[in-house]
Amino acid sequence: MRDKTHMEQVVRWARFVKNNDISVWKQQVKPLIDSQIIMANRFYSNLIKTKEGKLKAEKLLKRKL
Amino acid sequence: MDRRIEDKSILEKFVEDFVLIVEKYCKYVVVSGFVAISHGRTRGTEDIDMIIEKLSEHEFSMMHKNLLKNGFTCVQSDDVKDIYDYLKNKLSIRYVKNNTFVPEMELKFSKDLLDEYQIKTRKKLPLSGLDIYFSSIEANIAFKEELLKSEKDIEDARHLRELYSDKLNKNEISKIKKEIRRLRLK
Repeated sequence: MRDKTHMEQVVRWARFVKNNDISVWKQQVKPLIDSQIIMANRFYSNLIKTKEGKLKAEKLLKRKL
Repeated sequence: MDRRIEDKSILEKFVEDFVLIVEKYCKYVVVSGFVAISHGRTRGTEDIDMIIEKLSEHEFSMMHKNLLKNGFTCVQSDDVKDIYDYLKNKLSIRYVKNNTFVPEMELKFSKDLLDEYQIKTRKKLPLSGLDIYFSSIEANIAFKEELLKSEKDIEDARHLRELYSDKLNKNEISKIKKEIRRLRLK
């Protein structure tokens, strides 16, 4: 369980989003969201290079590859 | 004021590409985590949840073929009949862009009055900068606080409450929570 300072940060950030133009906060959020997707795809691409890795990836993604 | 911006995230482009096809065949609504994320919540996700009107097998097949033509793959099966069976049995199906693992679009048919209500009251939300239909902010808050309830969901709800603090219809949130208790938590 996260402590109350985490929720305080959620509120602080929501106020920043509310009080600033969309272009300001989107520029800050985009790299975070993009990097997660890019890294996940890179990770799975590397993982499936071996037979064992492919099985692990299928388990993680809960689907056949 | 046109709040759309061109510098969109991978997740946003993925959703917009998907929606461009789906909207030709049915009414849809994007719900849950992506609603908060497209409003600036700083957290990751690998899937986007979408509810669509029920389609006949033929209608679904047309939509599916168009999705394939535009570079999407259904991860469950290549056989459209199998995929339709998932939907018919109230299960989600998942699409990814060819040769990628994430993000995934998790798609399901409307399954009860609450889903129908979310489609009926769907909205475009200018603050997201996206030209797509979302379930209302009130519905998202109600689902996250009353049904989903994980730490992440409670934080999403708090973010949306703060962001829309001067616009929220609190009676609407209470009404939807009551329906959630009646239809999903009985």
